[in-house]
Amino acid sequence: MILFDRVTKNYPRRGSAIENVSIHVEAKEFVIIVGPSGAGKSTILKLLTREEKPTSGKIIVGGVDYEHLKDREIPMLRRKIGVVFQDFKLLPNKTVFENVSFALEIVGHSNREISHTVPRVLEIVGLSGKEHRYPLELSGGERQRVAIARAIVRQPKILIADEPTGNLDPGHAWDVIRVLEKINKYGTTVLLTTHNQDIVNRLKRRVITIKDGQVVSDKANSGYKK
Amino acid sequence: MKRKLITLRRLTISGIQNFFRNSWLSVAATAVMIVALTIILGAILINVTARNAIKELSKDIKVSIYFQDDVVQAQRDKLMVSLKANKAVVDVEYITREKAQSRLKQNQDDGFVDQTLALLGAEALPESFDVSVNDLSRLEEVGGIAKGAEFKNIVGQGEDDITLGKTRSKDTIDRAASAQKYITLGSIIAASIFASVSVLIIFNTIRMAIFTRAEEIRIMKLIGATPDYIRGPFIIEACMYGVIAGLLSNAIIYTFVLSVGSKLSSQREFAETYALFTSPNLVSAMIVGGVLAGILIAILSSTLAMEKYLRLKKW
Repeated sequence: MILFDRVTKNYPRRGSAIENVSIHVEAKEFVIIVGPSGAGKSTILKLLTREEKPTSGKIIVGGVDYEHLKDREIPMLRRKIGVVFQDFKLLPNKTVFENVSFALEIVGHSNREISHTVPRVLEIVGLSGKEHRYPLELSGGERQRVAIARAIVRQPKILIADEPTGNLDPGHAWDVIRVLEKINKYGTTVLLTTHNQDIVNRLKRRVITIKDGQVVSDKANSGYKK
Repeated sequence: MKRKLITLRRLTISGIQNFFRNSWLSVAATAVMIVALTIILGAILINVTARNAIKELSKDIKVSIYFQDDVVQAQRDKLMVSLKANKAVVDVEYITREKAQSRLKQNQDDGFVDQTLALLGAEALPESFDVSVNDLSRLEEVGGIAKGAEFKNIVGQGEDDITLGKTRSKDTIDRAASAQKYITLGSIIAASIFASVSVLIIFNTIRMAIFTRAEEIRIMKLIGATPDYIRGPFIIEACMYGVIAGLLSNAIIYTFVLSVGSKLSSQREFAETYALFTSPNLVSAMIVGGVLAGILIAILSSTLAMEKYLRLKKW
């Protein structure tokens, strides 16, 4: 599903963010990427969503070789990848329902399709009954679940969660992780970056550790020690 | 196709919402565009009016060529052919002695004319050609044809035998034509200035809207919105300025045409212009032209702002 083959990303001023990173993720896997701040985790995710281009190396996602990807094809690629951010990136002037339906509106779904799909997705993330609330009326965990609902409403094959628990207390953090596990059970490949040692150790999933821009370990059913 | 229509509807609604969300900026942008379009449409109105009035008044100014006695038809025809060969000549009218007398009677007291003709004899008034021209600056050139050597025997060679229109009227019309040129130039300059100001204000309005919605635009990019979907609402918003300004500037122009023009329409020199500007075809053309000009200015300025600030080339 995801292939990074000796990928390097250099920035003109900062130097190398990742170097010769090779990762292979199968479909329906749940992979956790860990590492200290500045290790290169976010760079990997930005390369996946094509916010950044690699300096060298090959990236293939869902059969699409990024080397041959044209700029006008990027929106189509991003529609196949759901992204969840640490700071939620919700629109404060839109309700929960509108924030989620926004992802369907931009691809031209009809109002009928939207009114059918959005409540079902909100039910999956445990937000039924909160459709008409605004983000500022929700807790951090609830906001992150809105962001997850928006990311999965188009049923992407891959879900990228960039430090989704970073701004949450442990209780809400686990709520979010359980939602991610549920989505993975439905068949979506999940890529999670986190600092949270407790979550990594209790999840017992494949863990890729990044340090100084390089993969230092890649183990199944593993844990993490800072 | 259905999805495209749904998307178009959403973009239109979003654009209209943006227009009202930035209401003060929208009013400012639309107001400046109304001024620009009113000047452009006003310049067209003034130019057409001036041109038609000058054309109408010019009909009175003719080159009169007086014949010597005993000129035969063939000689007159030869001169007529030479005159008509000149592109400035619109019409050549043959004035017989009888016609000359009746014209004189129309302009003078009957008793005076009868007394004069009794003194000079009925044959006193010569036959002549009245030559109409389409360009007053070429009166002398047309008069020069009759002065040619080949017509020496048929046209009187005295100073009064070839008259180049009524001098005072010609001077007035020359001044009007000159003023029309300056009015045209002034209108083009004013319209260009206001159109440029309009472009700048819409540019800034769209720029502000882009800054206000920067986060939303970033999220849209990340979740797969196409560049056209992101641009759409801004284009619609700008087009609304153009459409409203196009309609209101026409309303201003037509309020003027109907109020002032209706009073002047009884005068010969303005009648044609009034009829032209109130004909359904021209009313439609002015409205469509005004709206299209507004949309063109709006699309140009919003595109410039989006190219600079939306950064849609980097994904």
